[in-house]
Amino acid sequence: MPLYFADSAESIVPDALAGFASAHADLVSHHPDHGYLRARGGSAQRRVGLVSGGGSGHEPLHAGFVGAGMLDAACPGRIFASPHNRQIFEASRAVAGPEGVLHIVKNYTGDRINFGIAAERLAHEGIPCARVLVDDDLATDSDDIAVGRRGTGATLIVEKILGAAADEGRGLEDLAALGAEVTRRSRSLAVASAAHTAPGSGTPAFELPDGVWEYGVGIHGERAGSTTPAVPLTQFVRTMTDRLLAALPDGPRPRVLALVNGLGATTSLELYGILHALTKALDDNGVALDRSLTGTLVSALDMRGFSLSLLAADDELLRLWDAPARTPAWPL
Amino acid sequence: MSAIPAPHHLTYDTTAAWLIRFATTADSVEPELTALDQRVGDGDFGTNLTGGMAGVRRALQALSDGPAADRESPAAPLATAARVFLDDVGGTSGPLFGLLLQELAAAVAANPATAGTRELAAGTTAGAAAIQRVGEAEVGDKTLIDALVPAAQALTACAPDTEPGQALHQAAVAAHQGAGSTTDLRARRGRASYTGDHARGVPDPGAMAIALLFASYDDALSSLDQLP
Repeated sequence: MPLYFADSAESIVPDALAGFASAHADLVSHHPDHGYLRARGGSAQRRVGLVSGGGSGHEPLHAGFVGAGMLDAACPGRIFASPHNRQIFEASRAVAGPEGVLHIVKNYTGDRINFGIAAERLAHEGIPCARVLVDDDLATDSDDIAVGRRGTGATLIVEKILGAAADEGRGLEDLAALGAEVTRRSRSLAVASAAHTAPGSGTPAFELPDGVWEYGVGIHGERAGSTTPAVPLTQFVRTMTDRLLAALPDGPRPRVLALVNGLGATTSLELYGILHALTKALDDNGVALDRSLTGTLVSALDMRGFSLSLLAADDELLRLWDAPARTPAWPL
Repeated sequence: MSAIPAPHHLTYDTTAAWLIRFATTADSVEPELTALDQRVGDGDFGTNLTGGMAGVRRALQALSDGPAADRESPAAPLATAARVFLDDVGGTSGPLFGLLLQELAAAVAANPATAGTRELAAGTTAGAAAIQRVGEAEVGDKTLIDALVPAAQALTACAPDTEPGQALHQAAVAAHQGAGSTTDLRARRGRASYTGDHARGVPDPGAMAIALLFASYDDALSSLDQLP
């Protein structure tokens, strides 16, 4: 892995977690024996612990959103690999509230299985557990894909809104239903102009010719179904926006919350330009951009790309989005 | 079968011997399981299984060296093995094996003094259900479920007062048939699902291992003197 600044492929994740924990020691505690990060403090009202996790390489997701108003614990796996069920089980047991624990899981087979095994173990200990499965990626919305849509950028939206709702003392089933509704109202799409660097080889995970973009790419460097010629950005963002708006449930929505997300190697300069293009595209569709968040938040190592996520918003969801949060990476 | 009469109930010694015999069996068939998994999966199943069972051996040794009170229930070896598979084994199949052992342990622990065929049937049925909840596989998807569901059905079909060795023998026969039935299937779940038609002609290694687990009890009764 010559391009990565790390001692080895094995050490990159544990070393980063140790560094992260010391950088944010006021907000999180690190439990290296079991491999999870836990929030310090938080709302005394909370009756349900919120636990998320997944492969590493998506920083700041998920560890960056552990803290007051968001997650109680995060379980990072190896790069692009699901966490072990033991991490999830131990983290869940540690942060479960009087009404149990809610797992926020991105839709990938390994994550589903490992969170599922942890849930079975929790049930044996008498700890109630429910799951929100985030499956927002429009690029994988096809009858040919038996495993369903992937979970991508909307995971952050779910984590923020559920964190605020959990702080209000809501119960397990209530939170699970709210998470499912936020997911139902969210869709994302991603495009890349260059692949991430594969940790094993140190070379690009796939090659793209000049002037060609990978449209519909995943957050693990999964290639899309097709490539597309690189067109002027404003035009391309409009195409993405139209497609996302058309996919939101229950017909045209007058108001949205948007996430303009960098996949790792896209500059802030570019991302804010993309937000500008998105705002115009929404405006042309008669849709109000009620809230937006721009930054590298759900990354795919150093992929040069971005994703757009739209949530069909309402007053209640916006109220929860606006609630204060204090975590290592929550920017608002 | 040894001179020791077949016990009518599970005991700490019989469940411990069962697992130790399965560890020995797993070691001896590891090359075959690995060869199968290299053809249909990612090749780590045999290693995960033998590594897990090596951990079970160590944990059972620690149990045997520990307080006598921890050796009163036939559930204790099963619960110990479940924890090893759930905590320490990587991949997907290993922890799923742990779920089966966890359900067997829970069913046996419900009636430790009289646990037998009824509890084995309940635990195996619950184990299959847990694995299906988590892995979402059905019979016919070419996974270990293809052996586990017939084994659970065979145990359930036995009269509750059947001697456990006899019932587990029935389960082993059913699981072996189920494992054999995966040979001609195209995988729909697990890593093998990515290999498409290449998986045809190869039985699922997880299903084979389930059959070997149930077959190991019979052999274990004749080796009770080998307990640590």
